[in-house]
Amino acid sequence: MYVKGLAAFAAAVGVGLLSGAAIAQEVKQEKQSVLGNANVSPVTQEQLNAADKNAKDFLLTNGNYAQTRFYPGKQIGRDNVKNLHVAWIFQTDVKESLETSPIVVDGVMYVTTSFSHVYALDAKTGQQLWHYAHKMGPITVYCCGPNNRGVQVLGDRVYLATLDSKLLALNAKTGEVVWTTNIADPELGYSETMAPTVVKDKVLIGTNGGEYGIRGFVRAYDAKTGKQLWNFNTIPENSVGVWATKDATGRDMHRNIQAEKDMLGKIGDPYAKLGGGVWQNPSVDLATNRIYFVVGNPSPDLDGSNRPGDNLYTNSLVSLDLDTGKYVCHFQYIAHDVWDLDAVSPTVLVDVKDKGGKSIPGVIHAGKTGHIYVHDRKDCSLIRFSEAMVPQENMWVLPTKEGARMLPGANGGVEWSPIATDPGQELAYAINLHQPMTYHVESSAYPNGKLWLGGAFKVIPSEKQSGNITAVNYNTGKIKWQVNTPEPMIGGILATAGGLVFTGEGNGKFAAYNSSNGKELWSFRAGAGVNAPPSSYMVGGKQYVVVGAGGNTQLDYKRGNNIIAFTLD
Amino acid sequence: MFGKLMIGGAALLLFAAEVRAETIEDKVQVCTGCHGENGKPVDKTIPTIWGQQAGYLYIQLRDFKRGDRKSEIMQPIATQFERDDMLAIAEYFSQKPWPDLGQPHAPKDVAAKAVAASASVGCPACHLDRFQGDGTVPRLAGMGRDYLAKTIADFRTRARGNNPGMSDLMLATSPDDLAALVEYLAGL
Ligand code: HEC
Ligand code: HEC
Repeated sequence: MYVKGLAAFAAAVGVGLLSGAAIAQEVKQEKQSVLGNANVSPVTQEQLNAADKNAKDFLLTNGNYAQTRFYPGKQIGRDNVKNLHVAWIFQTDVKESLETSPIVVDGVMYVTTSFSHVYALDAKTGQQLWHYAHKMGPITVYCCGPNNRGVQVLGDRVYLATLDSKLLALNAKTGEVVWTTNIADPELGYSETMAPTVVKDKVLIGTNGGEYGIRGFVRAYDAKTGKQLWNFNTIPENSVGVWATKDATGRDMHRNIQAEKDMLGKIGDPYAKLGGGVWQNPSVDLATNRIYFVVGNPSPDLDGSNRPGDNLYTNSLVSLDLDTGKYVCHFQYIAHDVWDLDAVSPTVLVDVKDKGGKSIPGVIHAGKTGHIYVHDRKDCSLIRFSEAMVPQENMWVLPTKEGARMLPGANGGVEWSPIATDPGQELAYAINLHQPMTYHVESSAYPNGKLWLGGAFKVIPSEKQSGNITAVNYNTGKIKWQVNTPEPMIGGILATAGGLVFTGEGNGKFAAYNSSNGKELWSFRAGAGVNAPPSSYMVGGKQYVVVGAGGNTQLDYKRGNNIIAFTLD
Repeated sequence: MFGKLMIGGAALLLFAAEVRAETIEDKVQVCTGCHGENGKPVDKTIPTIWGQQAGYLYIQLRDFKRGDRKSEIMQPIATQFERDDMLAIAEYFSQKPWPDLGQPHAPKDVAAKAVAASASVGCPACHLDRFQGDGTVPRLAGMGRDYLAKTIADFRTRARGNNPGMSDLMLATSPDDLAALVEYLAGL
């Protein structure tokens, strides 16, 4: 009752227009109320710009605009991490796959669940402050689970993209909807699972739908109004490219270029239904005003017969101008992909050594192929790629009707899981899958927004699967250390100035490792798959580590509904 | 038996008149003849639509109308509806309880085979935990055995051509494994 009254009050007054008297009244009410209100001060652009140096908050999905997932606090370190214990556990109302990156602002945590719910929690106690339960439209068409990877806050608004392809601004204090914008038509295969990136009053968002013959995009919306500012099609009208026969690592992809050229002559450029989803946040280079992101697979996934050409910019790193959305550069890892070994894990901006050993602004991406790719930020060109983090066999055998065996399997390598980096050690930390698979091809025409796979990839039941955590020196490409895990890994990883990395497994294990040598220093059993990226923050002078334990739809890891925060005594 | 009778041409004409009626109850009256008064289909090859996902029901009606999914029975019925009718009908049936058809659990060895086949293709990645479905992906748990067998066979031959992705997945799965899956899903 009371909560309702307060919400109505906030709506009537309008958040941006609170008079002095109104603010006072609201504060008074908040003090009486423990439920229904998050007492946060507005997040400024300056705060977001400096997120990499802020150990109190965790303001962006991957820690900061460079997306290093390197947390600068070090109260929890190698010596005392063994004393880490549960501070609180919050149970959400949704027991499905959790892929959320918790955001922490001023002692308030924002987490999301499957089906696009948002919760504001007291970051110290885990107490619920508000809950936004999205009223999902009846038509949702998505891949790999009803996931949501999180929100971002700018000013006094929380930005959320939903499974039914809407973009919302919520009131950060109350969870009320400020504005809603339709991004694209779910009936044609568009959906949203990623967290938006908000920068300079722009909300940046990509789209899913590469399994449904969409035409992918990255867009900027006005953070104040929800109006679209620019649109970049991830598939240009000329998607043919240079007829590349080798992948980024120089291996032959066995393309039949003549057959493709004949097909091109017959059907023309296939750009309109060519897929190219974007699953994860772009990184933002504040100095040059550019963004960097990777584009996913072409549609249909495994059948290249009806999509002649390199299928630009699928399976590519792409850079755009932040203000205009205009193309700056790209680099394609796999032209004309027929294995769904696409680019999903978010890009990271760090300084890297170029071929001559000079330190330059770089951008790195961990591929489903199992390589970490290191690029020059200026022109997207490839400087080096790392040793393979997972077994590779029979690359690039073409899919057949009966199924052709190739490693890695179609989930990677590194899936959507964000990597972490520790620039001080020149290390990137990635979690990997090892799933031997057969690749099968089938041909069919564009099915009006329906599932368009062009075949199937199948796990080989008799072969052992596993996972690993790998630390790679991005200046040499060499693997520094590797920890093997019993199951393929999906979720994410966090590195801290305390000399630690934190990551979880599908079997419920959540652990801390020495970031220099991979030695396990602490672990916890969550009872459900820990398949979400961890975050860290400080409140009341104490450091916390928080992670979602909700399992995973794609790999069918045990579901749960727990947000678990850990701290020291 | 009733279901068979209704399939006659005269009955179809009757539907045409009936679907123009006002209320949702009037609109769905015709459906009970085959899909069941209490949600239990009158014939084993007719799917359960009570408690099915609304998005999925809508998409099927849409596809029948467009001719993307072929059915001599359902196409003429769906043709009568506009998008809003379809959405309302889908919503109506999705709110009904899923009926228990009383189908037995699959024997242990069959279930094990089904679970392995399911893990290989990753059926739960789309049909979700315990095959409950969501949005435009259907619930499969407890669906009529004969209907499951029929529609899977139709996917394989592309006689059911409204979802080539599902056809591809069915083609990549052996008939043996699919038979086990049918037993298993029906008994969930
Ligand atoms: C004369 C019998 C009959 C009537 C009347 C009938 N149906 Fe059907 N329906 C069927 C059969 C048989 C199928 C399976 C078609 C196939 O797979 O070839 C079916 C399939 C469906 C499906 C697809 C379900 C799935 O799981 O794929 C939906 C949705 C549906 N019907 C809705 C309706 C609605 C709504 C009505 C009333 C407006 C209705 N039907 C009336 C016989 C009937
Ligand atoms: C990539 C997603 C995906 C996967 C994996 C998948 N399905 Fe489906 N399935 C769908 C979708 C979407 C539909 C709805 C088809 C349509 O639009 O007509 C569907 C429909 C079906 C139907 C028809 C149900 C009905 O009421 O007519 C059956 C049966 C089915 N799937 C079985 C399976 C089985 C068994 C597996 C694993 C071997 C599987 N599916 C794997 C997405 C998937």
